[in-house]
Parts: sequence; C-alpha cells; structure tokens
Amino acid sequence: MDKCRRNIVVLEPSKIVYEGLYTSISKSEYNFSFFYVDSLIELETLMLKREISIVLVNPGIVQNRLKDFANLKKQYSETRWIGIIYAYYDNSILKQFDNLFPITEEVTKVIRIINKICNNKTSCKQQNEHLTERETDVLKWLAKGLSNKEIASKLNVSIHTVNTHRKNIMDKTSIRSLAGLTVYAVSKGIIPLE
Amino acid sequence: MYKTQKSFITKDKKMLDLINENCSLLICLQHFDVDFSVDNSTVEELCVENKINLNAFIVIANLYNGFFPVDNEINEIDDIKPVLHFLKKSHSFYIEDKYPELKYYLEKIKNVHSSRDFQLIEQFFNDYFEEVMEHLKYEDEIAFPYFYSLERKDKNAQLKSFSAKEYRNHHTDIETKLTDLKNLFLKHIKIKSDLNTKRKFLDTLFGLEFDLKIHSVIEEKILIPLIEKIEVQQNG
Repeated sequence: MDKCRRNIVVLEPSKIVYEGLYTSISKSEYNFSFFYVDSLIELETLMLKREISIVLVNPGIVQNRLKDFANLKKQYSETRWIGIIYAYYDNSILKQFDNLFPITEEVTKVIRIINKICNNKTSCKQQNEHLTERETDVLKWLAKGLSNKEIASKLNVSIHTVNTHRKNIMDKTSIRSLAGLTVYAVSKGIIPLE
Repeated sequence: MYKTQKSFITKDKKMLDLINENCSLLICLQHFDVDFSVDNSTVEELCVENKINLNAFIVIANLYNGFFPVDNEINEIDDIKPVLHFLKKSHSFYIEDKYPELKYYLEKIKNVHSSRDFQLIEQFFNDYFEEVMEHLKYEDEIAFPYFYSLERKDKNAQLKSFSAKEYRNHHTDIETKLTDLKNLFLKHIKIKSDLNTKRKFLDTLFGLEFDLKIHSVIEEKILIPLIEKIEVQQNG
C-alpha cells in the first residue's frame, strides 16, 4: 500500500448513492479523500482546485453534454473515469468511460476495479519528501528573505520555475508560511541560526 | 461501530443528543453564551429561551458537525447580532483561554527541553502570537464597532473610511501558521518531553485549529455577505 492520498469524486445526483459508494470504497487499501458533486459545472470547478485521480460518474448526468464531458476528459488526461450503470445507456455513451460497473456490483469487485486503477496508474505522484538540491537552494534564499524575483535572478532561472520549486517545498514539508519554512530550514541545518 | 458522520442539526433535534454525539458543540454553546445544562430542550426551545436567532444558531452549529451552509441557508439569517456576538465571544476564548494554554504547555516543555530547535519553535510561536493578538485587536477595535454601528443604523458612529471590502482585504489568514506549528511538531522537529504535556499541547492546537477554521468560514461566508447587504440597504 502506498501512503499517498488520492482524490476521488462522485458525480451523481443521488446523495444516497454517494453515501453508499463512500462507505464501500473507504474499505479499499488505498487512501482516498472523497468529494461529492452533482453537476458537470461543479466538477469542473473542483478540478481546477484539486488534482483528481478518479471520477465515478452517473452517465445520466453527462449523456446530453457529451461534448463538455469529452473536453473535460481531454483536459485532465491523467484522471480515470468510471461509469456507474443503473439504467440502459447507448454504447456511444458507455464507451466514453475507462471502466464501468453496474450499481448492483459486489463491493469487493468495485474495490478491485479501483485498486487496479491505483496500481496501474501513476495518477498519484510518488511523493518523495526529501527536498532536491535545487529546492534546498530556493529554500535557503527564501529563508533569508529574498523575493521570488531575486531568487530567480540569483539562480538564473525564471520566476515561474522558482514558483514551482516553492510549491514543491510547501507540499513536501506541509509548511506554508515563510516563518515556518525558516524554522524548518534552520532545524535541518539548511541555513545557520543567526 | 462508530458513527462516522454527525447529524445535520435541525430545530427539532434534542440538544442533549447532539452534544453526546459531538462534544465540540459545547464550545459552540459557550460562544453563544448558552449554559450546558440543556435538559430536554430542542434546538428551537434552547434558542427561544436564550433569545438567539434560530437560523444563525443552526447554520453555525452545523459547521461544528461538518456541514457547510448553502446560500439560501445563509440568506435566511436576518439578524447579524448573534453572529457578531458569537465571533466576539470566540475572540475572548482565543485570547483568554486557548493561546495562554498553548503558552503554558510550551513553558512546561521548555523546562525539560531547551534545545536550539525548541527555541526556534518558541520564537515562531511568540511571533505568531503577537500577530494574532494584533489581528484580533484590529477586529475588536475597528471592524466590530463598525459592524455594530451598521446594525444600529447609527450613521454618526460609522467610520467613513471603513467597509466590508476593507475588512475583507485586511482579513489575514491566521490558521496557516497554526497548521505550520502543528506540522513542525508532528513532522519535522523532535522535542523530548513527557508525552502527556506534548499531547495536551497538540490537543489544544488541534482544538484551536478546528475552531479557527469555523471562525474564518463564519467571517467570510456569513458575516461579510451580510454586512455587504446592509451597506447596500443603508447607503444605496
């Protein structure tokens, strides 16, 4: 089992169905954070904010908006899309999904499908908590009070690159404030105590 | 089996059952100035007895049970007073209760362990503490008097230069550093001390983090929109 937590969304109008899926899938060996949405628009907004590994979809919600659905899938190609089937749907709709399962499916089989996706996919980036050499450099300057722009020119990289390093540092350490990062840097011996 | 989800609070539910299900609601009652001996009262009865706006109480108490309010529930809150009162009470709770408690445990840890790493944490906490006090002071002395004057429709007492927009801009995020403090403790810095004191420290930290999160949601999703609505009504 890997430690990494994946985000899973249920796109489904029925809260009762969501609760059932939530309870069942929580028994998977993987760690999931669950989100519930009942429209494509809501899903789009959520996907802007979070990296989503799996979306369980009631095809009824997307059948009349196949174009929007296809666009969303194209935009988030890393995400896996699973259809939950509890009515008859045309093949043209069903083939939009990476996997399908009927609502009457056994819990163990559903979990097996989900686990298989997690095993195969790199949808959860392997999180190495150690900072790379470059990230350590960025942290060093950050802790010394330099701005992103100043760090970019010191390291001869773009501000965009500095921002990416900065985000990675925050994700790896789970520390978001500059003061907190400074404490981290001193405690790890990255910068000396002044 | 443990129940993983808490009840959605409605006016007919018994307060005693709700407290038994989620003891965090005690803090919520305290912020509303409601005594914990709730007898057999329903939520509605308790609100009538304590003269609290029922809709405001239900929306806020539900945050403690993990339910985020939807727009129409927020729109149903037609009295801003209980919201302001609740927020002011929680300020005193942070200033007089929670932060001193954290300081006390840090002091206790320091007596056994005063390494360089600990000094870093202590310094971080002290800086953060000052920031929080400054923020709460600003809210108590500038923002809240303005909100109360709006509520009383007292135009003379209203600061011309102040508005909900100004408040929104000034509204800093004091939770981030608290979460950082927790993560420094749990992930990065090993501090030798007795487990009991460390657990109590972390317990307080988690409790405060939970309450501050709810506090921010109330300010951003309930208070600011309500204030903006009143501003439009009064100033056109």
